[in-house]
Amino acid sequence: MNPSSIPALETPDSLPFDLMRVPGLGHLFRWRYARPLLQAPLLILSIIMILHGLFGPSLAPKNLATTLSWLHFRGVLVLVLLCAGNFFCLACPFMLVRQLARRIFRPRFTWPRVLRNKWLSVGLFVLILFAYELFDLWSSPWWTAWLIVAYFLSALVVDGFFKHASFCKFVCPIGQFNFVASTLSPFEVKVREQDVCTRCHTKDCIRGRREPVSDLVTIRGCELALFQPSKVGNMDCTFCLDCVHACPHDNIGILSRLPASELMVDPIRSGIGYFSRRKDLAALAIVFTFGALLNAFGMVSPVYAVETWLGRMLHVNHEAPVLGLIFTFFLILEPVLLIGLAAWLTRAWAHSARALLPLAVRYTYGLVPLGFGMWLAHYCFHFLTGLYTLIPVTQNAIASLGRPFLGEPRWTLTGLPANVVQVVEIGFLVLGFAGSLVVTYSLAEDDSPDRPLRAFIPWAAVALVLWCASVWLMFQPMEMRATMMSG
Amino acid sequence: METWLALASGGGTSRPRTPDHRVLDRVFRQRLAQWLTGIACASTLLITGCSRPAASPPVVEIEHAILPQPTRVGPATVTLKLVDGAGKTITGAHIAIEADMSHPGMSPLFAEAQESEPGRYQAHIEFQMAGDWVILLHITLPGGKKLERQIDVRGVQPGVRSN
Repeated sequence: MNPSSIPALETPDSLPFDLMRVPGLGHLFRWRYARPLLQAPLLILSIIMILHGLFGPSLAPKNLATTLSWLHFRGVLVLVLLCAGNFFCLACPFMLVRQLARRIFRPRFTWPRVLRNKWLSVGLFVLILFAYELFDLWSSPWWTAWLIVAYFLSALVVDGFFKHASFCKFVCPIGQFNFVASTLSPFEVKVREQDVCTRCHTKDCIRGRREPVSDLVTIRGCELALFQPSKVGNMDCTFCLDCVHACPHDNIGILSRLPASELMVDPIRSGIGYFSRRKDLAALAIVFTFGALLNAFGMVSPVYAVETWLGRMLHVNHEAPVLGLIFTFFLILEPVLLIGLAAWLTRAWAHSARALLPLAVRYTYGLVPLGFGMWLAHYCFHFLTGLYTLIPVTQNAIASLGRPFLGEPRWTLTGLPANVVQVVEIGFLVLGFAGSLVVTYSLAEDDSPDRPLRAFIPWAAVALVLWCASVWLMFQPMEMRATMMSG
Repeated sequence: METWLALASGGGTSRPRTPDHRVLDRVFRQRLAQWLTGIACASTLLITGCSRPAASPPVVEIEHAILPQPTRVGPATVTLKLVDGAGKTITGAHIAIEADMSHPGMSPLFAEAQESEPGRYQAHIEFQMAGDWVILLHITLPGGKKLERQIDVRGVQPGVRSN
């Protein structure tokens, strides 16, 4: 079929809000070089952060690498994910460097079959959380800079050898965080009308566009194996807009939707399969949710008491084994106990036909909103209470170059008062808790139509336990040490 | 996944090129390869060679004490004693104190140290949060020479509540 025979689409009032229809924004996103345009500023910023991290002040509060990474980037990231979608992956600076490198080194290999899942990225996600606590990355501009460099190199090496977006889909821990969090975003890259896709024969959104004679790719299709007509939700979507550019019918938009709606259903998803059959994805959801509490726990006073007690019990002075035990408890024992018990109770009370493990996997996604609420509360606390610190740190960085045209650093500028931010934090936690209740009830209704409440109650209890733990954590006095075992 | 491997497009975007373009492309690639080699060498040098410059031998010795001990959230007194290379106390110095947390995003504290007795200076600060702090001393000696020193205050403990 000639693509031009498909009529142009009009947006009826009944259709969801489409960011691609917003004047200016739509034009920008449709432009082929929109992504590099958004990536370039972040690349420049990354280079500045690396240089300042390596050669600037060694004190974290005075360095752009630590201030931007651990305060502003994380805060803006979670807020954009909450309010819009996975736009950080769209503007990812690592992918700009990768794309430039691919002009020289063409990848030859396909990603190994045994690694085509989330297990590796789950491991790397845990490793980053562990390294963050063990090496106190927040307090070291030097290590923060090297972390950014390592990220660039990893992306280059992986995507230098392997085709498609192997790094994004199977390796990148930030990407996995964004994929899980974006299941709660209000926007999704999605086809506007399925009929148009049904009539489309070229499938450019996945194949890409090629020159007829040379067969060379001129516009990429989805590198993450998401075939738009059967794509469901934001999981694995980097918002790269390749499909938007490749679609000859202008049938792909960035459409509004009910946040978390994709967690309430379990259809087969392009490039993913069934959520309920993906143990690796469930593990990612567990690390995302329980890791949120663990990451916050590492910043409050009780963690030092726990570490000291564990150190005494085990007769060890090194932090790594003690931290390893805490991680094992939070990321393996606690989830296995809570989720296992809830799944067993659901099976027993609601007489669910599913086996224990598939049932546990299915409901695990219901805890994601709670985890996101905790990440929001934690990251926004640092972001909002240190909101203005970017000003004196930038003033100081420029002054150190010998031309203080922004004036002397105003170190007294910090951010919003902690008591105001605490209200915002509680709001995020309540939102996350409510989201988890809605998702798990929806799953329970679908799973046990006759006894939805019986299937729901165990999971609601798990959500309540985690929510209480989150609230307790938020009210603990913060204690930011660079050495946990100092006694 | 198989669908992806079968249908997803190739690694990069490319256009059909004329022979002239191919020559230019080869030159471009060679140049870029040289640049990348240079960057790799520079990175290696950075990894192996970059370190903080070693501090010059001190001409002024600074003894410090922070009370109360152990340090807790709340008011604290920083006492400093300045001694020159010959062991004589240094009087009439100006000492500005700045205390920062190890985590970015926290407001620093500022104080001026007063000379309580010849060569001995005291400043009052208030630790606002438990954790690791760094006290920076900005010292101006009587001759106008400026010094910077850093004191690490590890593990400031949560404050004790009083009824």
